[in-house]
Amino acid sequence: MASATETKYLTEFYHLPEFKGIDGYKKNGGYKDLEKALKMQPQAIIDEVKASGLRGRGGAGFSTGMKWGFLPKNNEPRYLLCNADEGEPGTFKDRMMMEKAPHQLIEGMIISAFAINSKKSYIYVRGEYDDSINSLLNAIQEAYKAGYLGKNILGSGFDHDMDVYRGAGAYICGEETGMISSLEGLKGQPKLKPPFPAVQGYLRKPTIVNNVETLAVVKYVIRDGAAHYRKFGTEKSAGTKLFSLSGNIVKPGNYEVPLAYPLKDMIYGLGGGFKQGRKLKAVIPGGSSAPVLTAEESERALLDYETLAQMGTMLGSGAIIVIDDSQCMVECLGNLTHFYHHESCGQCTPCREGTGWLDKVVHSILAGKGRMQDIELLIKVADNMKGKTICALSDAAALPVLSFVTKFRDEFEYFVREGKSKVKGTAYKGNPNAEMHH
Amino acid sequence: MPKCTINGVEVEVAQGKTIIEAMTENAQRIAHYCWHPGLSIAGVCRLCMVEIEGNPRVQIACNTVVTEGMKINNTSEKVKEAVKWGLDFHLINHPLDCPICDQAGECGLQDQYMEYGKYNPEMAEKKQKKHKVVDLGPTVVLDSERCILCSRCVRFTDEVSKTNELGIFNRGDHAEIGTHDGKKLDNKYSLNTVDICPVGALTSKDFRFKQRVWYLKDSTTVCNGCSTGCSVKVYYNKEGVFRVKPKYNPDVNGHWMCDEGRDTYKFVNKDIRLLKGQKYEGGKWHTEMHAGAAAKDAYLALKGAKPEEIAVVFTGQQTVEEYEALVSTFVNTYKTKNIFHWVNNKESFESFDGLLIRGDKNPNTKGLLQVLEKNGINNSWKNLEEGLKSGKIKDLVVFGPENLIVFPELKQMLSLFTTAKHLIYFSTANLTDLRSYSGSNQVTMVPMKTYIEKSGTFVNFQGKAQKFDKVTTIVSEALSGQEVAQLLSGSEVSITTVPDKKLFLDEHKRADQVTLEHRKKNEFVFNRGRL
Repeated sequence: MASATETKYLTEFYHLPEFKGIDGYKKNGGYKDLEKALKMQPQAIIDEVKASGLRGRGGAGFSTGMKWGFLPKNNEPRYLLCNADEGEPGTFKDRMMMEKAPHQLIEGMIISAFAINSKKSYIYVRGEYDDSINSLLNAIQEAYKAGYLGKNILGSGFDHDMDVYRGAGAYICGEETGMISSLEGLKGQPKLKPPFPAVQGYLRKPTIVNNVETLAVVKYVIRDGAAHYRKFGTEKSAGTKLFSLSGNIVKPGNYEVPLAYPLKDMIYGLGGGFKQGRKLKAVIPGGSSAPVLTAEESERALLDYETLAQMGTMLGSGAIIVIDDSQCMVECLGNLTHFYHHESCGQCTPCREGTGWLDKVVHSILAGKGRMQDIELLIKVADNMKGKTICALSDAAALPVLSFVTKFRDEFEYFVREGKSKVKGTAYKGNPNAEMHH
Repeated sequence: MPKCTINGVEVEVAQGKTIIEAMTENAQRIAHYCWHPGLSIAGVCRLCMVEIEGNPRVQIACNTVVTEGMKINNTSEKVKEAVKWGLDFHLINHPLDCPICDQAGECGLQDQYMEYGKYNPEMAEKKQKKHKVVDLGPTVVLDSERCILCSRCVRFTDEVSKTNELGIFNRGDHAEIGTHDGKKLDNKYSLNTVDICPVGALTSKDFRFKQRVWYLKDSTTVCNGCSTGCSVKVYYNKEGVFRVKPKYNPDVNGHWMCDEGRDTYKFVNKDIRLLKGQKYEGGKWHTEMHAGAAAKDAYLALKGAKPEEIAVVFTGQQTVEEYEALVSTFVNTYKTKNIFHWVNNKESFESFDGLLIRGDKNPNTKGLLQVLEKNGINNSWKNLEEGLKSGKIKDLVVFGPENLIVFPELKQMLSLFTTAKHLIYFSTANLTDLRSYSGSNQVTMVPMKTYIEKSGTFVNFQGKAQKFDKVTTIVSEALSGQEVAQLLSGSEVSITTVPDKKLFLDEHKRADQVTLEHRKKNEFVFNRGRL
């Protein structure tokens, strides 16, 4: 499948080290679109984004233009927050964007802020992303110096200030209201909705939270127009998307392709397939929260919102985790349940207790102490965690459990019966203790 | 005013009300832990699930506002299943220590389990270990394993007491309630956190391990701790009163009361009470006598005195009815208007902490002043002091305070009072300072009823007259003000005294007995009503 190629739309100049600095960025067309946007009517920008069919690239895939439209039509101060707390296991596209093209994000943010009339924005960056933070801080300084940020930007009369906020390493702070709590200096816990952030968010003011990639795309929608952007992808899943490919693959990395790109081309083409003698077993297509696809399903999957939803999973953040036939699915699930057990914020009871319960049951199976009824129990517990909580973390923890257990039930049953992995033929070598230490 | 249908019953609710408010106001039962009508909405226990027609998913009732024509249901199988699982998630890490837990009998988890649970638990894994017996402060002890992290106590200290001592530390199933380093949960309203804790996580140091709640009954009365006059529930049995908790009263105290008010029960139990009449005459204390006999002695002494030789002292601690009977007796029978108001805590009398606590530590100062005004009495305390000094006042009648802590000047006052030739002291407490008197004057002590033992009216600082009923009898001989007034006017009053041993036989059955029937009805669950 040598024909598989990337469509470098956002990432066109990412290979140029100079693209990181403001001079190199401007040389390659940088900040031209900001000049263009500042001459437009803000509503025209919103309409253009709506027309482009751009959907949130952070995971939920909600229409960006529509989200902006929820803001109250008044002069109340409002905030634009960039969600760069890239925490979904398997995702690392935002990091590359911030490190290689910080100005691209900043330009997209200024245009977006102008469109929604926000005078202040924050980029909430995952705490571990040192390089991203430094890159952004430096780029923001450059932008201030060049007059792209601050008072009266390019003589347009529009003022805008931008800051970077460093997270402290909690997955839940990537949830938009959790992020708002954290930014407010509170414990990073999602807020009860309604009210939604567009009505009452950061500091109880209307707030828009968008992903790094989403905000960067805004620049290109302004540059080329909605119609051009719609040439990529499908009617409902327009545009290109960055995918983070990882797992048992020869060439892991970030790849930009138009939506509705075949998953098998991604794996065997761009990803270079598997090591010799290995073959595909399963794929988690949209970050660890997305239900797993079997090899057979993966063969026919297209990477767009609708196809994956029809297959009972989701595009999510675009993190494709490839699992080959050397992996034990019980172990893989143990890894995931441990993650969610560790990351549940502990507010809502079903999630707080459920994530721990799932983790303990999976680890008791891994320890060879599983009971046959535990398999059914995992399904029951996960089922009752779904849709019962303030945010989607509970669902995110439940969905992989449901898909792993139902699609790879034989491996779970074998582990319970024999006390060892069906694939590896050995007992679990990790720490089978699911208790949290603090 | 939107109309909605709740479990088939059409109700009209005020604009902006949530479903859970609409349900509790219309006597519909709904499971909940984190929601409390006096606190902000947390929406975290996920138990108040309801089904709303047209919505495929169950919703939480506490954060959903009722809209016109909404059809709400919380009795469907879908809701019951959701609540059952919600409960199971609460219980998987909850210790099974009900037999040694102080909350047993009035526990939200037990109540809801009996209503929605009754399943075979499937949790076979080890429970989460957390801190036990955490000393949170001078009044409250925390057991983190029992805690269901409903955050009510945290919200209370944030929103009501505004002292912000508590927080939830850590996350996930290893999250725990706690205080910041070196800080204590120490504020004047701290025990409200125990009341609103739906489980046995927060327990009161004062009450824990004293009684099983199913051996207690509760009655409503008015707190006598200060002039706010909070509505309270008093928990008692034949051994006495064990605790005081707030009762919701939107006009006075809302859902809360202060910690000082909870201590008022300590002045009503037998161990510190004056049980019998006492008499000091001719340089020695005589053998104790019946309360009625002591009052009769007082009557005989006063009958022989001239009006100007008599003086009367009241505190703001009696009921309006008592003041009326007593003042009228002195004014009409003894023709004296030498009636004085003993003001305690003079410096802080007018202070107010902004929530509930007032500097006037008497429940009925307003009531006393009203009765005195009606009789045209307004005497300066100085006149009493001078009258005692000059010997003009010979017979001094004092109706002493019940709540001794709020009368710090008591000892000093007693030495003033005993300068009278004959002090007739009506007291609820067995005052050791007075009982150790060894001077040359005469002292008569008559046991009185506390606010727990009588019915009456207190007029609070707002001028709001609050009637309350007798809760129970603790000292069977103790007299009420009305009885004293009758005895002092020379009438006969029949006082039945039942020996302690016979108190609880069938023929003397008392209201404060907790019978098996009460326990069978599990009335605590329903008395608690809203958690």
